[in-house]
Amino acid sequence: METILSINNISKRYGKIQAVTGLSLEVQSGQVFGILGPNGSGKTTTLSIILELIKANTGSFKWFGEEPSKESRKRIGSVIESPNFFPYLSPVINLKIVADIKDLGYDDIDRVLELTGLYGRRNSRFKTFSFGMKQRLAIASALLGHPDVLILDEPTNGLDPQGIAQIRELILSIATEGTTIILASHLLDEVQKICSHVAVLDRGKKLFDGKVSEVLAISDSFELSSRDIEALKKIAAQHPAYQSQVPDNGNILVYFKDVVKAEELNQFFYQNGIILSHLSERKRTLEQHFLELLDDNK
Amino acid sequence: MIKLLKIEFKKILTYKIFWILVGLYFIFLAAGILMAEFMINNMVDNMNSHLPIPLPHVTIYFFPWIWQNIAFFATIRYVLIFPAIVIIILITNEFTFKTIRQNVINGMSKAEFLTSKLLLILLISIIMTIFLTLAILILGFSNTADLSLEMVLEKSSFVIGFFITILSFQILALFFGFLLRNTGLAIALFTLYVFIVEPILYYFLKSPIVFKNGISTYLPVNSVLRVTEYPAIQVLKQVMGINLQDSVGLLTSVIPLIYSAVMIGIVYWVLMKRDL
Repeated sequence: METILSINNISKRYGKIQAVTGLSLEVQSGQVFGILGPNGSGKTTTLSIILELIKANTGSFKWFGEEPSKESRKRIGSVIESPNFFPYLSPVINLKIVADIKDLGYDDIDRVLELTGLYGRRNSRFKTFSFGMKQRLAIASALLGHPDVLILDEPTNGLDPQGIAQIRELILSIATEGTTIILASHLLDEVQKICSHVAVLDRGKKLFDGKVSEVLAISDSFELSSRDIEALKKIAAQHPAYQSQVPDNGNILVYFKDVVKAEELNQFFYQNGIILSHLSERKRTLEQHFLELLDDNK
Repeated sequence: MIKLLKIEFKKILTYKIFWILVGLYFIFLAAGILMAEFMINNMVDNMNSHLPIPLPHVTIYFFPWIWQNIAFFATIRYVLIFPAIVIIILITNEFTFKTIRQNVINGMSKAEFLTSKLLLILLISIIMTIFLTLAILILGFSNTADLSLEMVLEKSSFVIGFFITILSFQILALFFGFLLRNTGLAIALFTLYVFIVEPILYYFLKSPIVFKNGISTYLPVNSVLRVTEYPAIQVLKQVMGINLQDSVGLLTSVIPLIYSAVMIGIVYWVLMKRDL
């Protein structure tokens, strides 16, 4: 497997604000790599650094195993923050400018406009577009000429539910063609649905990275209740896989470190003299795990 | 180079404001050229009302003096400001719409971006010079009685002077555009500098007590405007006995070019250093 992008210990400071701290990452060919973090966690700064819009204070990065250059950027299609086009030019002319810069012909323009549903409006001025259409044009521009890597910063931001579904479908279909995708998002659900790998950022630091499926495999929690709730709390804490508990609407919510089965748990409490009046498994979502990771970092 | 110009063309081809300003510039320029004689004679008439011996009316559209006469009227501040504002708008737009970011993301280097704007300025200057040359030839041939090739070409060095003036004035505008990045601010400060700040500086530096050698003529805008100076209208020369410019001088042409080189250097340095 080819390493597409390797980031080595980059840091960036804006005055007093440390935007990125010692970040290292590797993205392999064919991955759909999610960069997940709340607003202000350094996602866009990181993407801006690897696209050479801003200079990192320390650290380095390589594209396709080589020092970054304008030639490596021509192989990357990117959507960063807002869609940046000339408002007084039509999408076709805006895309021709992109094609000129990337040394591409104009024959791919119709395809990307059709793919993003903008072909019918190809000769209207960009400023007459709705925000969703502008965002779709940014994606069309990124897709121009079948780039080796696609960088998407909050690609579904500002789109309606239908648009979000379309764009996600589009991203997934591009991923199946073998294009490497780097996707920054604050939406866990989005990363969960689209990405194969994820790195979680908070306040400029990488908290965690790995396969999305591994993140999701982390143990679940159970809602428990009994007539004697105090005794239940005590016994729960004695379980070998016990992690923590929180009150939850008259029940208690118990987290376990490992995978625990419901019948096993029921038996454990019965043997310890507790008759459960309520037992229900609660799958932990990526969201809960994410919030916990953020909490641990505080 | 061709690729960069192709990109620049796409950026302006359907941009209405660009064409409106260019149109206005041509109208002002043509009006300036055609009205110059009328305005001068109007001035002469005014003077004549106070003079015992009236001055004759002047004609300015004859070879060889037409080269200097028209080059001068085509490079007064009020006319030059149009292409300068066009350049400021085209550059600051790139920052306002963040298209410079997008260009870099897509694989253009910052140096190429600066080069593309300089090429555009060069091209505009060449087109304007050709336009002016044609206007001079047409007006000159239709207003000069006795023609000889020598006479037609005698003062044609003023075309080069015009080219240097319009080129370096636009580079001054580019300097303001790249450094300030904001359209309104750049236009306001540029206009303020050209029409108010530098004339005031000029006035103070001109004072012989401070500087004996007329350092004021080396101020950026002044050095640009001095390339094609007030025409030596023979009548005025005789009456007032003042010594006026005869041809475009080498030194006066080089100074604005040095300013341009320094400003391009500063813009390049700032562009490389600043984040986009």
